Amino acid sequence: MIFYILKIRLRRVPVSTILFWQQIFEEKQPRSIWQRLRHLLSLLVQLAFLCLLVLALAEPFFKWEILEARRLVLVVDNSASMRATDVAPSRFDRARQAGERFIDALRFRDEMAIVAAGTQPQVVCGLTGQRRTLHEALDGVSASDGPTRVAEAVTLARRLISKHSNGRVIVLTDGCFEGAEKLAANDDVELVAVGARTNNVGLTRFQVRRSLLDPIGYEILAEVFNASDEPVECRLEIELDGDVVDVVPLTLAKGEIWNRVFEKTSAEGGQMTAQLDHDDALAADDLAWALLPRREMQRVTLVSEDNLFLEKVFEANPLVKLTVVKEPPQKPAPGAITVFHRKLPATLPAGPVWVIDPSGSCDLWQLGDKLLNPIVTQQDKDSPLMAHVRLDNVILPEAREITFKGQPKLLASAVEGEPLYAVIERPGGNVLVLTVNLDQGDLPLRTAFPIMATNALAWFAGNRGELRESLATGAITEVALASSLMLYSPDGRPRPLPANVATATIGPLELCGVWRIAPATVPGRTPDEADEAKPPAALEIACNLANRGESDLRPSEELVTNEEATAVLAGFAVRPIWFYLLALALIIVTTEWYLYQRRWIS
Amino acid sequence: MPLFGSDFLKKLEYLSLISRRVFRGSILAQRRTMQLGGGIEFADHREYTPGDDFRYLDWNVYARHDQLLLKRFQEEEDLHIYLFVDCSRSMDFGSPSKFDLARQVVAALAYIALADLDRVAIVAFSNEILADMPLARGKARILSVLKFLENLIPQGTQTDLARVASGFVHRTQRRGLAVVVSDLYDPSGFERGLDMLRHRRYEPHVVQIFDPREANPEVLGDVELYDIETAANRKVTVTERNLRKYRRIFDDFQQSVQKYCRSYGLGCTRTSTETPFDQLILRMMREGVVKS
Repeated sequence: MIFYILKIRLRRVPVSTILFWQQIFEEKQPRSIWQRLRHLLSLLVQLAFLCLLVLALAEPFFKWEILEARRLVLVVDNSASMRATDVAPSRFDRARQAGERFIDALRFRDEMAIVAAGTQPQVVCGLTGQRRTLHEALDGVSASDGPTRVAEAVTLARRLISKHSNGRVIVLTDGCFEGAEKLAANDDVELVAVGARTNNVGLTRFQVRRSLLDPIGYEILAEVFNASDEPVECRLEIELDGDVVDVVPLTLAKGEIWNRVFEKTSAEGGQMTAQLDHDDALAADDLAWALLPRREMQRVTLVSEDNLFLEKVFEANPLVKLTVVKEPPQKPAPGAITVFHRKLPATLPAGPVWVIDPSGSCDLWQLGDKLLNPIVTQQDKDSPLMAHVRLDNVILPEAREITFKGQPKLLASAVEGEPLYAVIERPGGNVLVLTVNLDQGDLPLRTAFPIMATNALAWFAGNRGELRESLATGAITEVALASSLMLYSPDGRPRPLPANVATATIGPLELCGVWRIAPATVPGRTPDEADEAKPPAALEIACNLANRGESDLRPSEELVTNEEATAVLAGFAVRPIWFYLLALALIIVTTEWYLYQRRWIS
Repeated sequence: MPLFGSDFLKKLEYLSLISRRVFRGSILAQRRTMQLGGGIEFADHREYTPGDDFRYLDWNVYARHDQLLLKRFQEEEDLHIYLFVDCSRSMDFGSPSKFDLARQVVAALAYIALADLDRVAIVAFSNEILADMPLARGKARILSVLKFLENLIPQGTQTDLARVASGFVHRTQRRGLAVVVSDLYDPSGFERGLDMLRHRRYEPHVVQIFDPREANPEVLGDVELYDIETAANRKVTVTERNLRKYRRIFDDFQQSVQKYCRSYGLGCTRTSTETPFDQLILRMMREGVVKS
């Protein structure tokens, strides 16, 4: 109808004379049989258009359309191995392209759902027949560094199908997981494999921890898996905050798993990275992160009159900055650990205090008689202060009896429960009390003594020296929260953490790299400003692929050949009948309009 | 860009030289009249009658045959050329317009004629004689000719060549060459006007000008045709078939002009506005459309 309305607006064409045009249009048209037929043809075309329009409005359908309606669930594997680039642009993109084809091939009255099968199975889009919604949902699925969870995803998909007669699960995967062949053998599962058998070498473990004995020592555990059908030569480079720590050339036999523990020393801490210098299809397992806690210098004020053992045991610790004084200081240095040997003030100062062989009473205890030849019969083995310390075979000729005013925590005690080594917890700072006389007996000569001192220093320092384990992708962990914080993924995307809770569960962590828990950056700043003003992280968590299954990019030969689920792609009658009727009506009316404009019909 | 700029004048001079060197004796000014008189070129003898001038007696013949015969000479005289320029609105079509080309052609013909000492008059017409420039002689008058042509504007309601010719032939003036420069889109037919000139012993010559878009219009679909001469409108649907028909009708019209001129021995030059005026004049010279 619009075409006919448009015809009214004519283009004005100036001509020098209208004489010749008049001769054309004033010639009498002979009314031939063909012209009469043209009228008839025009009428028939218009009637056909009207019939088609009415028919389309009635929305006709065939019975088989309802009976044969399908319920499909598209399981998209977005695990780490799908990031492999052995097929361009990547296995995941290929899978997504295949998914687009399946969506396009949906018939009218078919329904489809999309489930992501990486890290944690997740229903991305519920059952719907809307292609646009499905396309948008599929576009929203992104590749992760997480482990494959196809089996769980298929279980979830089957629940969505719920025994529908034409239900089917289409799995878009590279087949690099256990049980892929078995899954493909199921009748209700159509497994579409993308990618080829590809060799790969990956870091499957990377951890770092502080040495339990050496205050500045640390140990690195690295594991490399050659998931190839041939030997490989490569190089492993380990760096700490950009400084090279070690470079290890590797020659790996096919299928070999190489691992080694490196022992290094440094008080510095930071991000430690391990990188495999090997060009392969999967980049996610060529780089791994670990976090090495920094060892902070500790200031110790020793109040003693020339006890060489005590001085040496603190001097031997490279993290200790020792000050020896003979009289108790009026005011202890802030943050410093004060060690009183025998001489002590009537009121212990605030801050961490270690009292050894006290010579008098104070505000926390009452000093008693000498305790001769005490034997350590009870020892708190679970306390970090007593880790690697055994006192039961140490000769202790003399100690002092102490009566605590509060309730101390005993670390070591004699036969009748007399405290020999105890912890007093107070708001102003914890106090350690060792009642043993160091000048007598062999405690200062035993290895237990420096270990006790190291433990005590570490305990006073808090938990800064603890192991912070690198997690594998897909892992869930709990963290203590002091205030309202945000979780920042390695690519910088923030996620809010619950407020007003002591601990929060984070995860599953789906990306490799270092995750940060930090206060929220001020909104409205530019990215550069935000980087400059980035608040220090309250906690960092290293996350690595660390999964031999994901590093192995070699699916079975049988799966590689299964390229397309042709049966599901059957695309006849993808649209309702009214759509075809309407399209036909439109074609007819357009043709009629064209012919009319050319005056082939009247 | 002025219609008669320096380039135009240079071309005029060039055409004038060409006309003298190459086509001497075959163009406008070298025409001889059939009138015998005091020229220098011998024509024939006649019997002596009393009162004749003795100076023209052929004494050699008298000596040889004892017969008094008088020598007669062909007299040369200047030619009167009337240039008709169509100023109807239909001439103001195309780019460059037919009107511009017509004025350039008339100017060129006038220049050549004046240079050869012929007398030239210009008549501007559409449905009637709009303006005319009286007979002029001598090359010095070319500037007034150009000024006259420059001042012309397309006007009038409808071309009526018969009415124009009727008004023209009733004037008391010598006969001569009548060059009609027009598109000949006359609703009552161009033939009547030319017939009138012909019957009154003028020697018409037709220069028919058309625009390429008239010969091959690029019009298709539903359009409103607007006649710039009569301001008439017509809503039509132009199809390929109509276009083919139009071309046929237009060709027929062109052929009819050609056929008419050939029938009566009139000079006829058809040209498109794509042809520059100098090339057109040269073509007219080569074809010898104006001969004695």
